[in-house]
Amino acid sequence: MTQPDELYPSLVETTCALLPAFLGRELPGLSADSELMDALGMTSTAALELILRLELTLGQEVDVDAIDEADFATVGSLARYIAANLLKAA
Amino acid sequence: MTALVAVSGHLPEHRLPIEEPGQRLGLDPMHLKVFRRYHKLDRVGRDPHGDLPALLRGALAGLDALRGQERRVRYVLHARAFPVVVPYPMRPAREVAEEFGLGHAACLTVSHHACASGLLALDLAGRLLAEDGDPDALALVLAGEKVFTGETELVPETSFYGEGAAACLVRADGERDRLLAYAADLRGEFDGDGVDLAPEYQRGYADCLAGAVRAAVGRAGLRIGEIALILPHNVNVPAWQRVCRRLGFPLERVVLENLAASGHVFCADHFLNYRTACERGLLRPGDRYVMAAAGGSAGGVFSAMVFQH
Repeated sequence: MTQPDELYPSLVETTCALLPAFLGRELPGLSADSELMDALGMTSTAALELILRLELTLGQEVDVDAIDEADFATVGSLARYIAANLLKAA
Repeated sequence: MTALVAVSGHLPEHRLPIEEPGQRLGLDPMHLKVFRRYHKLDRVGRDPHGDLPALLRGALAGLDALRGQERRVRYVLHARAFPVVVPYPMRPAREVAEEFGLGHAACLTVSHHACASGLLALDLAGRLLAEDGDPDALALVLAGEKVFTGETELVPETSFYGEGAAACLVRADGERDRLLAYAADLRGEFDGDGVDLAPEYQRGYADCLAGAVRAAVGRAGLRIGEIALILPHNVNVPAWQRVCRRLGFPLERVVLENLAASGHVFCADHFLNYRTACERGLLRPGDRYVMAAAGGSAGGVFSAMVFQH
């Protein structure tokens, strides 16, 4: 089973690839440090929708019961949460 | 101290899946999936043939404690999430008050705290009765609204409103259920039309609501561990997960089972959840419980009341 640390880089990359289409605008310079809420203006509900779209891309579900605002802070924090909370294949 | 004498509730039989109002409002299918999968919303109540007096009438019909006590009622307060709930010159609370022998009572609307106006109405009812000084006098708090406009169908990004109503008899002093404390945190910084305000409100929501609960529990001279139940306003499950984490309170003791089938019933959620708690035997005499709500229109209000059953 793939460990969360091993999944993290690809999750950051996938999230950065999804974000421009998701938010409907160009987002140059996206990285793990990009702030989802403060800089990109996302709400927690929009972040949950982003997780749904990531699930479709990954083919796996994410357990969001323990998710909190801190996990939505940056691309990296969201990727870290997803990596640690992947469930069975969707 | 203000006391709740009796509580009744009414929900329409007809339910719509959330996809129906959602699609009509143009919500993205993925957005609806978030509501269903994460927010745990399923259906909302609608009375397609009844008006607002019909909903309020349904709640009053179940308030057995009112029978024979009508002359004791001095005030009828209608708690509303929205200030305008019917076309002028309809007066739904006055209409049902007169039908139920309460035409002599002063009839008021309370809406300043949006979805937290039910708690404000309870507080106001107790204060009015205490000021009058008649220990036998009662007040009637009504809550419940129709989905009257597009604005009343959806809490953006958060929940769907459901039709329903509740009625609560209040007295200025009594043993059961006694109001121990009330805390209302008014956040004017969330008032305005700026596009940044809604995300700011969402970000501050859990901290502010947990803070209101903590303040009310503290004012009651209690610790959060001494609270048996939280009777919430039914917005969605993730919101309450976050509030509970901040409080260190188990989510299983937040009465959320009406959320999926009924949605967010404006200011009536706490009363409907109170009925559920009583019917399921979740409250024993002496138990302390919290009613908590947030109001999100024209600013933010985060409120909590502590009661002893």
